[in-house]
Amino acid sequence: MPALAARFIRTALLLLLASFAAGAWALAAKGTAAAMPASLRGAHAELALVGWALQLALGVAYWILPKHAAGPPRGDAAPVAASWLLLNAGIAVAVVGAAAGREPLVAGGRLLELGAVALFALHALPRIKAFGR
Amino acid sequence: MPAVTRWLLRAGMAWLLAGLAGGVLVAGQGALDLPPAFGAAGPAVFHFLTVGWLTQLIFGVAHWMFPRASAERPRGREGLVWAALLLLNAGLLLRLGAEPLAALGHASAPALAISGLLQFAAAACFTANTWPRVRGR
Repeated sequence: MPALAARFIRTALLLLLASFAAGAWALAAKGTAAAMPASLRGAHAELALVGWALQLALGVAYWILPKHAAGPPRGDAAPVAASWLLLNAGIAVAVVGAAAGREPLVAGGRLLELGAVALFALHALPRIKAFGR
Repeated sequence: MPAVTRWLLRAGMAWLLAGLAGGVLVAGQGALDLPPAFGAAGPAVFHFLTVGWLTQLIFGVAHWMFPRASAERPRGREGLVWAALLLLNAGLLLRLGAEPLAALGHASAPALAISGLLQFAAAACFTANTWPRVRGR
């Protein structure tokens, strides 16, 4: 597994734990008077869907998509490294925004996430092909 | 495919069916004149799909396909993944009963708290076994 894929997948595992911890808190608070602020549920969803599921999918895709026949087998790693950075900056901004109830911050975080996925798509599109081509 | 992966995928498929069926009942609660508990089950049903199906499917396939931990124990300490399977499904089953009751004002706080802890423990068990298998060359 390339180091960059391992970086995506290990970050996804850490955010899986963070999202399940927030989810456990939300569940525990549901039946009590000390209810969890509704804004933290947004942070829980961001961590689970983008931080865990999407990030894991990107890491596995970078590892496992067909390699190029010539040149570096997985192409230029720089856009993928930038994608990891943008994605996690976006998650951090969106989580803080959701927890603070600040919609513009959430939107800013989502914009960074969009940039991350666009960079990843630029890298991955040429690798979506039949094996051996 | 290892035995624990087969059980994770089977359980995931069962939660997918339960989640889709639950979606029908939640949306149709009014039209079908079902008890109010069905209308309150929306968050639980959503988690049947995202945790019961999607996350469990990921756990199963990752345990099967990720690089070997070592020559002696290629998939690491498999007991941790069996524990993740049991804890995750126990947590979701507890939620299935407790969350609609809580939404209707019944006292189910301890059951919900235990459900959350069981699911977190499942994620921790899976992560503990998977982490050493995720390494760059």
